[in-house]
Amino acid sequence: MTATRPIAARRGPVTIEALTVAHGMVLAVRAISISARGGEVLTLLGPSGCGKTTTLRAIAGLEEPQEGRITIDGRTVFDAAGGINLPPERRGLSMIFQSYAIWPHMTVFENVAFGLRARGIRRSDLSSVARQSLDLVGLAALADRPATRLSGGQQQRVALARSIAGNPGVILLDEPLSNLDAQLRLAMRTEFRELQRNLGLTAIYVTHDQEEALVLSDCVAVMRDGVIEQAGTAAGIHDRPATRFVAEFVGVRNILPCDAAEESGRTVARLPGGALLACSGPAPDGPACVCFRPINVRLATQPGPGAFPATLTAANYLGDLVQYHLHAGELTIWARGLPRSDLAEGAAVFWSVPPEACFLVAA
Amino acid sequence: MARFPRPETLVGILVSLIVCALTLPPLAAVITSGAGAGFAPFREPGVVFNTLLFGFGTTIAAVIAGGGLALALAPGVPGRALLEGLVVMPLYLTPLLTAMGWNWLASPHSGLVNLLLHAASGNSLTINAVTPMGTIGVAALATAPLPFLLISDALRGIDASLTEAARVHGATPRMVLHGIVLPLLAPAGLASAVLVFVQAIGLFSVPAVLGMPEGFNVATTEIYQLLESYPPRFADATAWGILLLALAAALTFAQSALLRRRSFATITGKAFRVPRHLPSLPRLRAGFGWLYVALATVLPLLALLWAASMAFITANPKLMRLSGEHFAYVLFGYPKTWLAAGNSALLGALSATFVVLLGFGVSWVVLRTRQAGRSLLDQLSMMPLSMPAMVFALGLLWVYVRLPLPIYGTLGILLIAYVTHYLPFGVRATSAALRQLHPELEEAARVSGASWLRSMRRITLPLVQPTVFSAWALLFIMAMQEVSASILLYTSHSIVLSVAVFDLWENGNPSDVAALGFVQLAVSFVIAGLVLRARQRRALA
Ligand SMILES: Nc1ncnc2c1ncn2[C@@H]1O[C@H](COP(=O)(O)OP(=O)(O)O)[C@@H](O)[C@H]1O
Ligand SMILES: [Mg+2]
Repeated sequence: MTATRPIAARRGPVTIEALTVAHGMVLAVRAISISARGGEVLTLLGPSGCGKTTTLRAIAGLEEPQEGRITIDGRTVFDAAGGINLPPERRGLSMIFQSYAIWPHMTVFENVAFGLRARGIRRSDLSSVARQSLDLVGLAALADRPATRLSGGQQQRVALARSIAGNPGVILLDEPLSNLDAQLRLAMRTEFRELQRNLGLTAIYVTHDQEEALVLSDCVAVMRDGVIEQAGTAAGIHDRPATRFVAEFVGVRNILPCDAAEESGRTVARLPGGALLACSGPAPDGPACVCFRPINVRLATQPGPGAFPATLTAANYLGDLVQYHLHAGELTIWARGLPRSDLAEGAAVFWSVPPEACFLVAA
Repeated sequence: MARFPRPETLVGILVSLIVCALTLPPLAAVITSGAGAGFAPFREPGVVFNTLLFGFGTTIAAVIAGGGLALALAPGVPGRALLEGLVVMPLYLTPLLTAMGWNWLASPHSGLVNLLLHAASGNSLTINAVTPMGTIGVAALATAPLPFLLISDALRGIDASLTEAARVHGATPRMVLHGIVLPLLAPAGLASAVLVFVQAIGLFSVPAVLGMPEGFNVATTEIYQLLESYPPRFADATAWGILLLALAAALTFAQSALLRRRSFATITGKAFRVPRHLPSLPRLRAGFGWLYVALATVLPLLALLWAASMAFITANPKLMRLSGEHFAYVLFGYPKTWLAAGNSALLGALSATFVVLLGFGVSWVVLRTRQAGRSLLDQLSMMPLSMPAMVFALGLLWVYVRLPLPIYGTLGILLIAYVTHYLPFGVRATSAALRQLHPELEEAARVSGASWLRSMRRITLPLVQPTVFSAWALLFIMAMQEVSASILLYTSHSIVLSVAVFDLWENGNPSDVAALGFVQLAVSFVIAGLVLRARQRRALA
């Protein structure tokens, strides 16, 4: 008897414990532990070569880890110690590849139906289930088109339809939007998020684009050289990077070496040249850097409390906003804001940052 | 908890075992058995010299011709596509027929060209192919497609921006050729030189037809004669085999030593926008291409056709008479024709099939798995390239004459020889096809729930099928025409067409040989063509 299709997704959680993966001599992933809760999106964020793809492929069973344990929906699919290593087809997940991997010798419909057949769905249900998922991604009209005659965006949709058709509990995505142009990328990202929420999928999403990660995820893990530097909610990663690397990676442009001290219950950063910035959060042990986003820098043409003098050396348009470049002694500060007629290049300005926007990381 | 091995692991192990079993025993047999009473080559320094002369001479001439063709047929030449197809034809014609064709064209007294020259010049001009130079020249014509293919590949791989950068920085086309293109082609040139050298020193038919009659003996003809003598002198023959192996190994080693010092990481460009690497002269370049096609293919085949369809060979117009009697004889009179044709077709089909399957297995394991020792498997499957077919056949004889397996004297031993000899071709062809296939296509099938076998059957195989079929057809044609190994391994029951041709050459009427040669060509090309046609029909249906 063939199994009938479950009505609702299983919303399985995925847990990775102390996972280590090597490519020959290269340790691509070093003892990472992270989990994605059922029905949520976990994003692995990091620069190229940090081990995101390797982690994803290990979860899928396409890469054999050296150490660690992977559990999907309560079922151990890999355990180095216990000698468990289920092949990809028995892990109950699906994956969207960076290249999309649309099978060129099949039509759009056959691409979607292939996995259903492989999973032994009833012949009578096959067509309706495949068409249903093509419908979900808005491709029903193209069902009979050869897969070689599709645009990038359409291929992306086929890949999406294919991966949700089998109603997997877990879907893995490896930089699925990186081959699309900017506009399409924005549209697809919203569409994917809606689909994921509606179907209740657990998703593990890989990207090097911090904006994409923050928009899409319930939980973000920032990776560097095979380890997870910081994991947390999107807001947490955005507002309070825990390390200098994470701060740089999520677009905190001002990272300035300073002397950090506790003064009357508050943390204060003293910059070279004398500027004093009140910070939120604790000071790290050892040398520190004070960090704040350009958008949080306030500029004034008159002195004020907590404001420090600087020279405006450049003002460049950046879409709707203007990027300001300030110099104060040896300090360089980036600010960002709406265009202002009173801020011309060469002007003397006074800058300040509210304490809640300043935080310290180890240098 | 014990794990049952996955199918991909089993395939890896199986493929490795087969490749080891095919390649290693004959190699070991040759190496261990050649050290008999005195090393035969020491007693025949003249033959050693001839072998080296023939090897190096052929290599130099073939690389110059093939490299020149590759440069000449760069874009911008009229009729380029046609020329590119015709230039590689000699790969699918046995050198035996080319050599016989040149014998009829340019033997000193009865060669067609010489008869014409004598008539025109009053006996003062003669072109003689039955000389060491003629032997080298014909061998070079037969092997030039190898450097042509390797060097044109390298040429295509040179990114247009590299030469364009040189031009915008002030280099003339000539400077681009000498300063950029040729140095970047050097590794391919060197690799093809080694390949040609190994082919040449292992070539039997050309020296047998054009060298032996005038006493220009090389290692392969020596091996043949030692085994033909009574009693067969096995130990001496294998000693010559060892010499050939050592030469091939030395050159392969020298090549990797030379290349290690230089790395050409830039040769990964896009093939789409090939620049003008060359000073133009399109007519001259096309002319060079056509000259090669004429010398290597058209003239020898015409000579063959002429010899086969004349009542007897003469240049006296009054005595020339068209006749079908030779075709009639080889088809209905000569007792070996049908047996040999059947054997050849069966062997060709079986060996092409096994080579394609095994080659695909090897490429898949090497390219798609992390199996331990897979690079060793890759090298082992390529080893027959540096092992002349005749030496390999010697090793097979040595192994299977002693083993109690009932293989010696059957088609089985020929099949083993062919499969091993052509394995590198099968691996190259299938790995090229697999490389074009993004691994994620197979992985997508696996995560979609397909087992390894299903993903293989439904995704990988359908996608590589076109390449596999054309590789099969080419392998069939090549196997149908193999001479060097067959000549040592056949018996009267397991005779094949190419051996029958050579047999007639040594003991029969030249016109009958020509007719049988034509039958051989016809059988191989017609069957391969039919298979390809049938496949296209099915693909369209
Ligand atoms: N097949 C492979 N063989 C050897 N090294 C690899 C292979 N794949 C990836 N690596 C290496 O592993 C590290 C992590 O790669 P990857 O997981 O692809 O990074 P990411 O997806 O974050 O860009 C890199 O240093 C990369 O060079
Ligand atoms: Mg990646």
